[in-house]
Amino acid sequence: MNQSQTSSRNTHDRPGDGIPSLDAASFETRVLQGQGPIAVEFMSYSCAHCGAMEPVLQQVAETLRSRERIFRVNVAVELGLASQYGIEGTPTLIMFSDGQEVGRAEGPDPDVATMLDVVTAPFGIQ
Amino acid sequence: MMGTGNAGVVARQSTPILLFDDECAVCRRMARWVGSVACNAIGERTIDVRPIGEDPEALRKLDPTLDIWKVYAKSHLLMPDGTILVAGEAVAEVLRRSPGMAWCAWLFSVRVFGMRPFQGLLDLGYVILSDVRPIFGCKSCGAPALWARPFVWLVKTARRLTGSKPPARRPHFTPLPATGDAASRQPPPPRR
Repeated sequence: MNQSQTSSRNTHDRPGDGIPSLDAASFETRVLQGQGPIAVEFMSYSCAHCGAMEPVLQQVAETLRSRERIFRVNVAVELGLASQYGIEGTPTLIMFSDGQEVGRAEGPDPDVATMLDVVTAPFGIQ
Repeated sequence: MMGTGNAGVVARQSTPILLFDDECAVCRRMARWVGSVACNAIGERTIDVRPIGEDPEALRKLDPTLDIWKVYAKSHLLMPDGTILVAGEAVAEVLRRSPGMAWCAWLFSVRVFGMRPFQGLLDLGYVILSDVRPIFGCKSCGAPALWARPFVWLVKTARRLTGSKPPARRPHFTPLPATGDAASRQPPPPRR
């Protein structure tokens, strides 16, 4: 494993969690330098709306596994990233394509159909 | 005593640990109250009151079975023997271990035909308080339960009529606390 791979690994990843957590360094390598469609959920564990969305997003991540990657950023910890992307509340989903923001959704309905639509619409994924 | 038994518990201190949601105003008030009453005659704390925080790993160091989402959803009391008490059971145990409140705690152990009616009432009270927390200013508590929505609406309407209108909220969105320094926000990085 090379240095960049080591630094991008996050300690919050655990078996059964299909949504890796990112810090500022891993955000740079996995999102901004990442290829293809990527969705990032800006969330915090104390936000009940994020808690309601969690199982739905896990299901969506599993469904889209081969076509789109989904990550999470904890805004209570990563204040710099939250500020940089103008996050006003949680959950906020930002979609990136080749490192560029291509879509954003704030507080979407926590159901699978809505969530699938939100994270795939900017990329035209069916 | 009911609770979630836990064999894989990590070394734990001798005082029970009450984990509370530091983002919820109601929970903060409750935790402050527990902190003030849970002291023995020589001033030692009988319950260690701690905010849950935002680090799932730190929580799992307390107990590997703890899931941070579940801990935020209900009060958790980590007992020295590895048991975890949740919701109304945690409240009853907190009362038992608070010298000033122990007089009423025996009620929750009373059994009638194998049932614990007072514990049942406490559990119900816990659920009701948990569901109506948004009325008391908890911005992180999520959407109120279905039964509580008319009450939330009434409170919002009353606030609007009295001039103390709360800011409009999107239904599934928790606004971040205002930093008071919006101008210092950096713009998004330049697009490549």
